[in-house]
Amino acid sequence: MAQNINPHYASSSNPAKQNEDTIKLNDNHAVSKRLQKELMELMRCSDKGISAFPESENLFKWIGTIHGPEDTVYAGHKYKLSLEFPNSYPYAPPVVKFVTPCFHPNVDTCGLICLDILKDKWTALYDIRTVLISIQSLLGEPNTLSPLNQQASYLWPNQPAYKKYLDEFYNKNKDS
Amino acid sequence: MQQAMKVTVKSWTGVATWRWIANDDNCGICRMPFDSCCPDCKLPGDDCPLVWGACSHCFHIHCIVKWLHSQPQQQCPMCRQDWKFNNK
Repeated sequence: MAQNINPHYASSSNPAKQNEDTIKLNDNHAVSKRLQKELMELMRCSDKGISAFPESENLFKWIGTIHGPEDTVYAGHKYKLSLEFPNSYPYAPPVVKFVTPCFHPNVDTCGLICLDILKDKWTALYDIRTVLISIQSLLGEPNTLSPLNQQASYLWPNQPAYKKYLDEFYNKNKDS
Repeated sequence: MQQAMKVTVKSWTGVATWRWIANDDNCGICRMPFDSCCPDCKLPGDDCPLVWGACSHCFHIHCIVKWLHSQPQQQCPMCRQDWKFNNK
């Protein structure tokens, strides 16, 4: 069987790659197909503390929710995130941002997240579920060496003071 | 006493099934079943074959080629080892 044929010949025999327009159309269709699979999977087995759903009819924009992990200063907090999928998904990562303001060493004031798997460590095998689980665990295990929020990074070693500031920040901003 | 059936075979149609022998059911990149094709293809089988890396991970050939083309480094998306087509 033609299991390991030269990719050069394999791709030229693929009729879908004959013209630019077909590629664009097909890519978009392929992305929707994968996102639909992910939606079904997420609805079938929901993980504890994370959820996600398309914002509207548009499958390329989702809203996710993360509960702060137990045994961390974020326990009891609930954060909304936005996920935007490029036409090249899953070959390129989604753009993920905190919608609920989040005081954290690796989250900036606009909600942008500094996380390697959303950048150079992204692989096509990751999905919405693994992205949200990673962000959830980032909450309790920040990387204080490359902070986007200096103040949070500076305060992190003092957990009681961090918790006090965090709770005030969260209660003030959670509905905005 | 046994009696033979009184039938004459005038014509017949052979039917066969096939499936890929892979260590997973679905392609991790496109999430389609291996026995189906990648989202860019219409017919499964030789038109949209599977391919194995030296690291033993397996994908639709169109999916892994697209992944390798999109990356600066040629690594398996599963284990991040350098991707080599297993020619065995």
